[in-house]
Amino acid sequence: MAMTTQAETVGSHTRAEDARLLEFRNIRIVYDNAIEAIRDVSIAVPEGSIVALLGSNGAGKSTLLKAMSGILHTEEGEVENGSIRFRDQEVHRLAPDELVRRGIVQVPEGRRVFPALTIDENLQMGGYTRTKAEARERRDKVFALFPRLFERRDQIAGYMSGGEQQMLAIGRALMTDPVLLALDEPSLGLAPLIIDRIYEVIVRLRDEMKMTVLLVEQNAQRALDIADYGYILETGRVVLDGTARKLAANEDVREFYLGVSSSGRKSLRDVKHYKRRKRWLS
Amino acid sequence: MQYLTQLLISGLAIGAIYGLIAMGFAVIYKSTGLVNFAQGEMTMIVAYIAWTISTTISGNLFIVAAGAIISAIVLGLVIERVVMRPMLGEPVFATVMVTIGLAVILRSSINFIWDAYPHGLDVGFGRDIVRVGNIGVRTGQIAVIATLLVLLAAIWAFFRYSKFGVAMRAVAADDRTALLMGISAPRVHAAAWAASSVIAGIAGVFFAITYDLSPAMFQLGLKAFPATILGGLDAVLGSGIGGLLIGITENLAGGYFGSGMKEVAGFLMIIVVLMVRPFGLFGERDIERV
Repeated sequence: MAMTTQAETVGSHTRAEDARLLEFRNIRIVYDNAIEAIRDVSIAVPEGSIVALLGSNGAGKSTLLKAMSGILHTEEGEVENGSIRFRDQEVHRLAPDELVRRGIVQVPEGRRVFPALTIDENLQMGGYTRTKAEARERRDKVFALFPRLFERRDQIAGYMSGGEQQMLAIGRALMTDPVLLALDEPSLGLAPLIIDRIYEVIVRLRDEMKMTVLLVEQNAQRALDIADYGYILETGRVVLDGTARKLAANEDVREFYLGVSSSGRKSLRDVKHYKRRKRWLS
Repeated sequence: MQYLTQLLISGLAIGAIYGLIAMGFAVIYKSTGLVNFAQGEMTMIVAYIAWTISTTISGNLFIVAAGAIISAIVLGLVIERVVMRPMLGEPVFATVMVTIGLAVILRSSINFIWDAYPHGLDVGFGRDIVRVGNIGVRTGQIAVIATLLVLLAAIWAFFRYSKFGVAMRAVAADDRTALLMGISAPRVHAAAWAASSVIAGIAGVFFAITYDLSPAMFQLGLKAFPATILGGLDAVLGSGIGGLLIGITENLAGGYFGSGMKEVAGFLMIIVVLMVRPFGLFGERDIERV
């Protein structure tokens, strides 16, 4: 019944122009050969930019990141159609360690530091694919970025606060010397002040270290504040994309992802408008 | 006094064998999160292979040792690749059941491949008795205690300082995140099985040298399992020490209260210890943060 979906693009900036570092091209991901998690999604991540991937729970954001990192098979997931391209090469059939060597890394949702290992050992694991000398150099950079980690380097990671664990998770990912850093919900469960710190670092990664960032967030406000471009995912499809500024100004986005509406409070009419649009889209 | 010392020393010697096998349990648990119930059987198989080498190729101690280590590595790798890797990602319970099945198969293979009679493994070493004062000790007993101590130190350093050792701990804690860091979990698992098989094999060969080789040797695994629970399933060093404690306890109990007590003494001790420290003497409490 449903035909091809045409995502709405807001703003004049189309996503075809930039040098694409990473690209999901018409990708379809299926779990257990039965459940379609991602349907015909195309996303481009231009080099040196921050691209935000927004959407509510279960929209398929983390699934895309897992596909990117080559760990879908651990959950019986599979890329059925389309491709993931990194530097113009198809990468979605590569093993996770090969992807890390090529410069793709993600900070998983919920931080996932190795709890029984010390901070130093966690970082060492991030540098697993690198030589000893490279790892030492990277570690100095991570410590410069997060002095707090240096202070607590011999402590057990499991006993750190959530914010420190998030710093460690990011630092650990930076140890792989990535070209593309994906972050899955870095603000989850953290205090606003800590989120500020984390987001400052993400901006520095782009501006000072010329890193490309794919930022998955439920916290759309925060993400759009720093992102260059954004995609909104809903039930496995891109329903909206555009420059971060245009997205932040879009009425539907303001209503449903930023929690503000032009009228100042949520009204039922807007919901209807939104539902109508959704029907039209599918 | 002499009786006590004698009991202590032979307790230490058999305890060292339990300890080695227990370390084998812990190495696999620490890096794969699994309890391998075929550990005792692997111990036995390697000992039988060593015996075959000694009777057919050469009885030279070093040739037998090298052959046993190599075949233990192969055994561990084959079991991991053929039996365990297809179970990757399946529920832990199913995987543990597979190791029980594997144990039964390995146990019966002794009768298929070799025979049901006891044999002595003769490598020209181990059965001589050294007298210290008025206490007699077999050289094999001294050697196995020394081996355990050396291995304890080596493994401690390995898990603490080597990158691969830390990676093993990382994979055990969270294999998916380890994958994200570019650590190949299958490779780590394979290494753990090989290492565990070698450690268990060393125990088996020492047992065969000092005592005898028989199809009932797999029961060493049943004795070593409590040792690893006592020391802590995730504590390789603790497991080795747990083995020594069990060995001494059962020997003292057997010596003073009769052989009936010998069988249960170790288990009694475990029940008491686990009531106080459910994660074992040296095990790590789960770190959980909310």
